[in-house]
Amino acid sequence: MTDEVILAAEGVTKHFAASRRRRFGVGKRPPVRAVEDVSLALTAGRITAMVGESGCGKSTVARLLARIYPPTSGRILLRGKEVTSPRDYRRDVQMVFQDPFASLNPFHKVYYHLARPLKLHGHARTKAELDEQVAALLERVSLTPVEQFMHKLPHELSGGQRQRVAIARALAVRPVALIADEPVSMLDVSIRLGVLRLLEQLAREENLALLYITHDIASARYFADDILVMYAGQLIERGPSERVTDDPAHPYTKLLLSAAPDPDQVDDEPDDTTDHGEPPSLISPPSGCRFHPRCPVAMPECSTTAPLTLTVAPDHRTACHLYDPATVADQAAR
Amino acid sequence: MSAGEPVLTIRDLSVDYLTGSGAVHAVDSVSLTLHRGEILGLAGESGSGKSTLANAVARLLKPPAVVTSGEVLYHRDGPDAEPVDVLRMGKNDLRRFRWKELSVVFQSAMNSLNPVTTVGSQVADVLRAHERTLSTQDRQDRTVELLRRVGISADRAKSYPHELSGGMRQRAAIAIALALNPEIIVMDEPTTALDVVVQRDILREIRALREEYGFAVVFITHDLSLLLSMADWIAVMYAGRLVEHGAARAVHDQPRHPYTLGLLRSFPKLRGPREELLGIPGTPPDLRDLPPGCPFHPRCRFAVDACSSEAPVLTEVQGGQWAACLAHGGSYGPVPVELSGRSR
Repeated sequence: MTDEVILAAEGVTKHFAASRRRRFGVGKRPPVRAVEDVSLALTAGRITAMVGESGCGKSTVARLLARIYPPTSGRILLRGKEVTSPRDYRRDVQMVFQDPFASLNPFHKVYYHLARPLKLHGHARTKAELDEQVAALLERVSLTPVEQFMHKLPHELSGGQRQRVAIARALAVRPVALIADEPVSMLDVSIRLGVLRLLEQLAREENLALLYITHDIASARYFADDILVMYAGQLIERGPSERVTDDPAHPYTKLLLSAAPDPDQVDDEPDDTTDHGEPPSLISPPSGCRFHPRCPVAMPECSTTAPLTLTVAPDHRTACHLYDPATVADQAAR
Repeated sequence: MSAGEPVLTIRDLSVDYLTGSGAVHAVDSVSLTLHRGEILGLAGESGSGKSTLANAVARLLKPPAVVTSGEVLYHRDGPDAEPVDVLRMGKNDLRRFRWKELSVVFQSAMNSLNPVTTVGSQVADVLRAHERTLSTQDRQDRTVELLRRVGISADRAKSYPHELSGGMRQRAAIAIALALNPEIIVMDEPTTALDVVVQRDILREIRALREEYGFAVVFITHDLSLLLSMADWIAVMYAGRLVEHGAARAVHDQPRHPYTLGLLRSFPKLRGPREELLGIPGTPPDLRDLPPGCPFHPRCRFAVDACSSEAPVLTEVQGGQWAACLAHGGSYGPVPVELSGRSR
């Protein structure tokens, strides 16, 4: 395993224009600020999980990294270089989507889905090569007997099997980085584990840099080496996965962890409020720290100044005023 | 109202979907009892028949679904009230039964709320339809009170569903279900489309409301981990059959059916050391072509020869805990300790 950074984002921002037309002639609508100044790095052979609620921008980050959207500002670097040709980029970075019922063409057989990337990227030239490589791909994602699955249509497969086909398709171009956007959230509980294990095994054995995007922080803890927590378009905490889940720094990460259903722990916290609010609008996000309206420990500066990203422990960083020595001293003095 | 008495008894209920390629046995002779003020969690994967069962109880099934056998007895409150079979109710009885005695909260509140009227008027609608004697002023007061009770402020009563967030819409749907103070609320995946923080808030709200109003809940979900902290009783369904039911704690601590065990060990835990996850191999069966014997045997790690020929019967394995499994029925004792997932 090497520590080579495969894919990196530097200060990536994405704003979606709400409407190109003028609204009643009084000016343009403000944009949706989906992702704001996100920097991250994916390393070969390591699994990085990105956790957050729906609407926090995690899928947008995935699509920016896969270059499905161009970023509004910031750079995406593949092995330290910006790649301009989309074809070269796709050969190295692939994506697995959330919904395997939508990501496979219902009119084509499994063979077609896997043969097409092999042909387009020139990995297989003859029919014999193609057959052999399609079989090998199916073997790698444990869809056996291979001959049987090759000639099936998507509707003949279960959700888990379809997701395996989608993973095999992503692997066909022999990528160095794989972005999996909620790969198991549409699948039944009993088959999720198998698909996650497959992804884990691929990352380790093939030295892939894997970004696993999920809303389930427990699975992130289990499968990932590092966890990135997103809130309202910003990265608010990052660190080794056990560290982030066992000793979270940011109040939002704490809230997320306490809300995850945990059968071993009866929900008997003294804090039994039934309303913790909801994520803010990204059209006009709150000033200062975007979490301050929901934060139980918000301080006056939280609503005025945006927190800087601070190091709380080796490799463990968070964007919260609580860890800013200047703020803490200021609070103590008052 | 007295707690502990049965309020709904499902006996031997079977539902088929009549399709061109033969009947699909979506629910296969299920018997269950719901007690007053109790939360009964019904867990199962997609296609396990849990929603079909709930719809049968609420008499919401439409062709091609047909109830082929069984009865659903509703026990009216009162010392000498006779239980009535919901499945044989006439139009007028059904009209009185629905919403007043049993109401439903559906999975996606976006689809169950009317997009072109305000949430306040939708709550008022229920009152207008069922309590005709109520004056306009009283109705308005009740509406505001109901919305307030589920955590929606009075000024939001004039909001349209699209102006509310997912969690707020689900709260509004709960307010509508509560409007006539029913005995039973069927909740079909009420929090599946919501984020975890909002989900926990809604679950706590449901439990707080249950304490206050004393209704019983049939809580349907695919997420067993949710039920363990939420429900009093848990019933697990697989391929249309009930495979295990018992007190929530007992099912968690000592699962008796290998499927329940597999489900419990399929999701990683947030705290404690990383333990090995078992998972369940294979995929759920096709209901048109069920394996012979126990439908779970091709995926079961404890399967014995008899499992492929003999269908297991739901038997009581330990005080109040029932399982339908040949290998771990009564005489086999609990699931082996090294596999039962108690590492704490």
